[in-house]
Amino acid sequence: MAPSISDLLVTDDLTILLGLIAGTVFLLRTFYRPQPLVHPILLGRQSEVAKVRNPGESAVYRNYGTGLMNRFPLRPHKDVQVLTDLVRSDMEAPRTLWDTKITNAALQDRVASFGTGLLRLADLQSQESNVLLLLNDCIEFLIADLALSSHSIPSMTLAAANLLSPVLDTHPPSAIITHAEFLPTLLELIYDAGEEGRHHTIVVVGEPSSRVMASVASKVKVLLWTDVEREGFKVPKIMTPLPKPSDVFSVSFFADNTGHVQGTQITHTNLTAGVAAIHALFPVSALLSSLDTIVSSHSLGGTYGRAVAYAAIFEGTSFSTTESSKLFRVDEGTVKQDVVDVLSAQLYSIPSATILFLKPTHLDALVDAILREAKKSFLLNAFAWRHKISGISEGFVSRDTLWDRLVYDAARANVIGEGAGTVRAVIVGGGLLPANLLTPARVALSCPIINTLTHPAVVGPVFALHALDLQDFSTVEEDSAKSFAPVGPPTVSIEVKLLGVDDSAVEDGADPSGTLVVRGPPVTKQLSGEELETPSGYVNIRTGESVSSGNGDDEDGWTNLGVKIRVLTNGAFRVVV
Amino acid sequence: MAFDVGTPINTALLLFIIYSVQKIVFPSTSPPKEIPNEFRSGYSWLPKSHQPTVLFKTYTPKTLEPFHGKDNGRILLAINGIVFDVTAGRSFYGPNGMYGNFAGRDASRGMAKQSFDIEMLTPIDQPLDKLADLQQDEIENMKGWVEHFSNKYIICGKLVENNAA
Repeated sequence: MAPSISDLLVTDDLTILLGLIAGTVFLLRTFYRPQPLVHPILLGRQSEVAKVRNPGESAVYRNYGTGLMNRFPLRPHKDVQVLTDLVRSDMEAPRTLWDTKITNAALQDRVASFGTGLLRLADLQSQESNVLLLLNDCIEFLIADLALSSHSIPSMTLAAANLLSPVLDTHPPSAIITHAEFLPTLLELIYDAGEEGRHHTIVVVGEPSSRVMASVASKVKVLLWTDVEREGFKVPKIMTPLPKPSDVFSVSFFADNTGHVQGTQITHTNLTAGVAAIHALFPVSALLSSLDTIVSSHSLGGTYGRAVAYAAIFEGTSFSTTESSKLFRVDEGTVKQDVVDVLSAQLYSIPSATILFLKPTHLDALVDAILREAKKSFLLNAFAWRHKISGISEGFVSRDTLWDRLVYDAARANVIGEGAGTVRAVIVGGGLLPANLLTPARVALSCPIINTLTHPAVVGPVFALHALDLQDFSTVEEDSAKSFAPVGPPTVSIEVKLLGVDDSAVEDGADPSGTLVVRGPPVTKQLSGEELETPSGYVNIRTGESVSSGNGDDEDGWTNLGVKIRVLTNGAFRVVV
Repeated sequence: MAFDVGTPINTALLLFIIYSVQKIVFPSTSPPKEIPNEFRSGYSWLPKSHQPTVLFKTYTPKTLEPFHGKDNGRILLAINGIVFDVTAGRSFYGPNGMYGNFAGRDASRGMAKQSFDIEMLTPIDQPLDKLADLQQDEIENMKGWVEHFSNKYIICGKLVENNAA
């Protein structure tokens, strides 16, 4: 008998059951999709582009939040004009800086005492002297920097230890602040340079051994940090007129990619704009607050490390740095930038780290270790990885999912220790991140990974990804092991332009690609060639008075960073291999 | 009730359930072949093209003239040596607009004297109008128009003599 329609459509109880299950499953699939953390339509236009461009150059790009018409944010808060304003007196809770638990008021007192003591004991003159800070990252660095800036005495810092002898030769400082362990090396350098005839004043943090003290030449005056602070504590504080925000408070020496020594002058405005840029890295739902703890692997001698440290001071977070950021060591070994290094910051008595500012090598090692740990639970990891990746491809990542509880929390705890659950954002800078590391990093750490581009001439990041951006543009054909991850749009206080662009290709619709030049409040003024070689008149506190315009400058104030970079159609930038 | 999925509806429902559950438990993880150009097609998307930007060019009266807009192309006009792209103001500067005479020409004298007559325009093959005989208030008026145009339209080039380019 041929089946009739009514035979085909026969239903029974099983149909109802299956129908209910099918309905539930359908609703589950449709509505239980993870929502993206940021709507993808916003990620389609991350930079504001100028309407006109000069031949051979690209248009000027700014952050979409800043826009082309508005002025750049110069400071994180309107009351922050100079460096010492970053230590806010209205915040009363103590926080831990490296090993010291201190409130802002106590920090300001220490800064004032040290400043006064130094001026008296070391015979320094406001605006005439300069002080070389040969300190590893510690609270004394910040106290010295703040004290010197409040008395308009520029500090000199180095981004690498091998720059010490060239800098001492060309720019002899009025005083040097260093650690007790480094004192013998420093004295040796001074004697070798034949300079023991000149007066030197050295302030030492810590207790130098009596043998070293005995070897000090007669014209070299060695003071102990604790003595200087005590001296400043008992006498009335010396008041100097407040510096102007456009005054130079520090000169940072770094080696550029050809190996030459370059110096750059940092003004108060540069630094406050850099702190504002770091503040803007975080989304409104997850701003920096005094409950956070920042760990940085960037040394304070460089501009980026300094911006991170002062951002921590401004926001009232606890702060410490990793072992690899120490530049001045007695032993000759270099510290490997790996997981042990990241954990070394936790050895100080800070609370568990919440925000990590790392270099790409650290992230690589960390992610590798976590994923290897996760693979130990083989079957669960296969599912967890799939689900995490499919969540990320929809724009969603979170630390509270089922798969984290099953697999990744344990893996992170094994690698990072008990503090694993508190890490809520990782910012990668100071190097180029490979493109194929970004998504595995998001899976392993399950928190926003913000890729940035940094440069020693700019205070703070130059480019930074949107914090909640999880896009991954690796397709099946592209070899993402060789390319670099996108670095996103320019930060809120910078405008960028590309030079050396192929006009005909761009008119046809190709991505503009060329050398990066930047302009904006966080961009510092580099010292020109002659300013680097001779000490005379190189640091005019009032930068407006310096005659030469610096060798990195171009007309209209654009600074060439020497990075080859490409713009994508959504306004994000990507470093070219 | 015997477990009989022989009925077509039950089979269809069962297949649908198995398919959906498989999609939930084993989501796909392969990256797409091509980067999508629409945000609806995928989260990691890129717009098809860049924001349009205009290349800053040097124009002469002869090369500026074709941009009169009569062929629905761009409309440019020059004031005081600065070339503006006024395509957005087609209703004013287009062929049927009130100020259509100025399209593709040097409008400096007309802007200064506040007049749209043909006599204000210099023929294309002659040297540029030096504006030497204008009064100070007319020059100020022209500069005011330059300001207005800079805010409203795009500056996209400069105007030089015919043989200078």
